[in-house]
Amino acid sequence: MPIQITGAMMLQGVVSGLLAGGLYAMVALGLSLIFGVMRVINIAHGALLMLGAYTTYWLFALYGMNPFLSLLISFPLLFGVGVLLQRWFVHRVVNAPELSSLLLTFGISIFIPNLAMLAWTADYRSVEFLTGSFLLGPIAFSKPRLVTFLFALGIAGLAFLFLLKTKLGKAIRATSQHREVAQVCGINVRRIDLIAFGLGAGLAGAGGSLVSVMFSVFPEMGQIYVFKSFLVIVLGGAGNYPGAFFGGLLLGLVEGLASLLLTAQLSEVIAYILLVLVLLVRPTGLLRGRA
Amino acid sequence: MKPLTWGIGLLVLAALAIMPFFVTSYIVSFTIQTFMWVALAGSWNLISGFTGYVSFGHVAFFGTGAYTGALLISKAGWPWLPAGLAGSVTAAALALLIGYPCLRLKGPYFAIAMLGLNEVVRALISYFEDFTGGGSGISLPPILSIEPVYYAMGLSAVSVTLLTYVIITSQFGLRLLSIREDEIAAEAMGINTARLKLYAFLLSAVFPGIVGGFYAWYASHIEPLGTFPLLTTITMIIMCLFGGKGTVWGPVLGAVLLSVFQELVWARFLFVHQALFGALIVAVVLLLPKGILGVLQERYRLPRAI
Repeated sequence: MPIQITGAMMLQGVVSGLLAGGLYAMVALGLSLIFGVMRVINIAHGALLMLGAYTTYWLFALYGMNPFLSLLISFPLLFGVGVLLQRWFVHRVVNAPELSSLLLTFGISIFIPNLAMLAWTADYRSVEFLTGSFLLGPIAFSKPRLVTFLFALGIAGLAFLFLLKTKLGKAIRATSQHREVAQVCGINVRRIDLIAFGLGAGLAGAGGSLVSVMFSVFPEMGQIYVFKSFLVIVLGGAGNYPGAFFGGLLLGLVEGLASLLLTAQLSEVIAYILLVLVLLVRPTGLLRGRA
Repeated sequence: MKPLTWGIGLLVLAALAIMPFFVTSYIVSFTIQTFMWVALAGSWNLISGFTGYVSFGHVAFFGTGAYTGALLISKAGWPWLPAGLAGSVTAAALALLIGYPCLRLKGPYFAIAMLGLNEVVRALISYFEDFTGGGSGISLPPILSIEPVYYAMGLSAVSVTLLTYVIITSQFGLRLLSIREDEIAAEAMGINTARLKLYAFLLSAVFPGIVGGFYAWYASHIEPLGTFPLLTTITMIIMCLFGGKGTVWGPVLGAVLLSVFQELVWARFLFVHQALFGALIVAVVLLLPKGILGVLQERYRLPRAI
């Protein structure tokens, strides 16, 4: 492809990539919380994201609610769904080999979207709330992407504050560092599991709300975010929460630049090679650090 | 195995061998699919049931075989039988390429890497459009009689099962099981785990490649989305798990039972059948993680090589 790539195009790729990366970072932080605390890879994360998106869509379509305001509903709603999933299903496989949790969450990940399809059909729906873009110098900023980026950043920031400053947040981090020792220190790890899964699901749901402002809402919409979130976790290091955040921004950046130079399909291949390389060379993630 | 078991086995094989002459072509094509699932579930069992390394992208080998077969038939003019068998070569080559680095990854990371592998193979096949037909896939001439495919698939299913039996009764099989139980201890006892895992991985990729090649001929048309669905991997896994992983007859039992179940029950609930399948997966994982044979083995002290 002999296309001349100008500096402005590069800059545009960086900006678009980072804007997308904020969302990846927030969604992956949710997955990372679940993985960090329980070593469970939640394949149903995309399904939870989809539920968040539909929450926003219906509130917008039926009551005209501001999609960003509906975060206040989608987050707690999905928190509840997450707690129930943990309580009914996932807690039984926390200490089982990974095959059990992979299959279990996969089962959930096809069950929920298919119910959604029965309930709401497979139609593509959209939340037309914020459209258009503005120019800043040579760079175009898409308004919905910029606003969702800021919201994603804000929510991730709140989550970090919670993890760093509150007692519960410290208990979560302790459990993900060493489950047994945390238990010895008097932490009720069962309860931490519930909260971690709830928070993870809540972050996925909030992610869905934000996605719905930018892209179509349909039952299978969450799928593409699952593998991306794995990638983010691997880049950042498993159980490393700031790592997950920077991994998300990095993935967005790589995608933004790769889409300039290559087709979308090949950028997937690049992402995979990156994943395997990082797993082999730096299994603790690119950011070496503490959880 | 006792002579009686051999006798029953041979009787069943003989019955299956003459079956196409007596039943409708609907039953024949149903049996072809069941054979395919037996071979796939049995192959997954060879790596994941024995070593505990969860291959979450095993359909990649099936799809690679399918594309190899379809390309050799359509571009090189090969007859279908050698084209299908050639699927094993590319599938094994892919397994070697991926297994060598990825089998060092532990636990969930191997599963993630395998999941990604499947997406990547699909993306590559879609990308090299001129060669593979891209998203619209490859069409092959329609097959005139399905009986030859029936025997080819049947032999593949039987071979996988025999191979599993040979492995489980061999020292190689015991070593693989020791990797599953405790890899570090196995290593400490002098077992070259890296090499054995790779062998098991290669063996587990061969038959999906072959049945993939046969499937391409049988279906007359393949395209990337339908050839590489994660759902196919999960179906292999759940069949193997349902019957009993790490056993000889578990994958056979699981594949036959679930195929029949699918044909009888799910065909009537077209709209909810995916949701039902999701529920079935959850149920098997939570209620029957050891599978039918696993439970029977524990309860009745059945031989290890069942």
